[in-house]
Amino acid sequence: MLNSVKQVLKEQLEHRNLIFRMASFELKGMYQIHYLGSFWQFLNPAIQVAIYWFVFGTIRGGAPVNGTPFFLWLIIGLIPWFFISPSIIQGSNSVHQKIGLVSKMNFPVSLLPSIRIVSNSFQFFIMLIILIVIALVYGVEPSLYVIQVLYYLLCLYAFLFAFSLLSSTISTLIRDYQMALQSFMRMLLYVSPILWDTSLITAKFSEVGAVIENFLRLNPLFYIIEGFRDSILGRAWFYQDLVYTGYFWVLTLCLLYFGAKIHIKFRKDFMDYL
Amino acid sequence: MMTKVIFKNVFKTFELHAKKSEKILNLFSLSKKPVKEFMALKDISFEVYEGETIGIVGLNGSGKSTMSNILGGVIQPTEGSLYVNGETSLIAISAGLNGALTGFENIELKCMMHGLTKKQIKKATPSIIDFADIGDYIFQPVKDYSSGMKSRLGFAISVHTNPDILVIDEALSVGDSTFTQKCLQKMEEFKKEGKTIFFISHSASQMRSFCDRVIWLHYGMVKDIGEASKTVDNYQKFTKWFNNLNETDKKKHKKEMLGKQVRINDQFKSLKKYNKRTDVKEIIKNILVIVPVVVMGILVLIGI
Repeated sequence: MLNSVKQVLKEQLEHRNLIFRMASFELKGMYQIHYLGSFWQFLNPAIQVAIYWFVFGTIRGGAPVNGTPFFLWLIIGLIPWFFISPSIIQGSNSVHQKIGLVSKMNFPVSLLPSIRIVSNSFQFFIMLIILIVIALVYGVEPSLYVIQVLYYLLCLYAFLFAFSLLSSTISTLIRDYQMALQSFMRMLLYVSPILWDTSLITAKFSEVGAVIENFLRLNPLFYIIEGFRDSILGRAWFYQDLVYTGYFWVLTLCLLYFGAKIHIKFRKDFMDYL
Repeated sequence: MMTKVIFKNVFKTFELHAKKSEKILNLFSLSKKPVKEFMALKDISFEVYEGETIGIVGLNGSGKSTMSNILGGVIQPTEGSLYVNGETSLIAISAGLNGALTGFENIELKCMMHGLTKKQIKKATPSIIDFADIGDYIFQPVKDYSSGMKSRLGFAISVHTNPDILVIDEALSVGDSTFTQKCLQKMEEFKKEGKTIFFISHSASQMRSFCDRVIWLHYGMVKDIGEASKTVDNYQKFTKWFNNLNETDKKKHKKEMLGKQVRINDQFKSLKKYNKRTDVKEIIKNILVIVPVVVMGILVLIGI
């Protein structure tokens, strides 16, 4: 039953070195034509964070969320988002974009989404470090909960891999899907707990609001982003909400199952669909 | 002699759709309308033995590139069976070099994608640079290369990845004669090593001097296969005859031949592979995977 999942995961494992080297070449190719080179990898997120600092931290001065300064609360959500959003969009597009290059070689196509995810990770880790520095500046006491970041990183990568594997196949077969996905991702930013605190709905509409909030929680990114907040702000352990944790993993495995299945089914014919 | 490649009744068809939406309906086999198909390859059968060099000639659109793509594993035949014993490497000039990276970096990248180890790459790099022979440009970004330089580099990398079966799809036609000479020498080397080579070219003289046997593809079918000079002679006789026709006869002939390549497929032959009646087991499996998600989703929704 899990043959295709096994095969896809085996390919990733066997070619893990190749993934990292290809990802670093991708970055090199991207930044080599710039005078500042890979310094942009640091500069880009720094500028983005600075803008949000300026708008939300100084001018708008949002109210603290459960005692956490709004700006700190905001960037813990935003920084994973800066990684998730482009990874999903580029990961989904990766097969369509690169299949022409790799089809002539003995190269497993299932690596293409992973390469995109890994090459985006370099920037993400720089941003995570910035994030921790900012958290310290804001006077967050380092606690044992921080270890949980590793668990949520695992969740994040598992989800990104499963989702982009599935969606890279769909996107190659049906090009409209990529367009729809881009719009959908833009919308997702506003229904995830990134820019605003979703518990406001429950506070405002009481019972109906609670259902709406639970509905928003069905979004797996909700689990990951709130998870990062739980870890960095030291709010809760992931096993304290087993139902939600269970839901996330069951969903991720389901995506992986179907992703691997249709990937294996169609991969020999990808060239015919270009 | 060992058989290296067997084509047995190979068909490659491309569906002709009037509208884009028909394609997607067909993909999910929702449409029951008969499909118009273009047969790029029509009932091709032949065998190739170890160490042979096979030339492929034919007019534009006769299916040469479709055949080389099938040989290289880029696309799959629609019908028929294909047996390839060994690794094939398709050498086409356009094969992706990354424009932003230097030639030197591209060598590493492409070798890596071909599955060479770091050590092997290190060993191969000097001889690739030597073969490409583009001087200091090797350390410049590929986007600044001339088209000749690109094809030199592309060819140099491809021949150093050490394949068993080489498919050369008109890759030699871009370089100047000195480079072509060098490539042919390299090909001779491969021949001596007992490698099987498929050689697609429009140059009759290269075909004659270089190939053991030649396949003449004509509107998707094998018109002639046999000893190189004989087949090339036949082919040249045909082109001469064709060129002497007047314009209307030429058009008529072409139309007639192309018409033979179109068929109406109402039996959904080509879709069979996806359309294998999804058996009950498969459906149960899928449901088994989805059910837990739905159950957990409901639990989250009611807020337990």
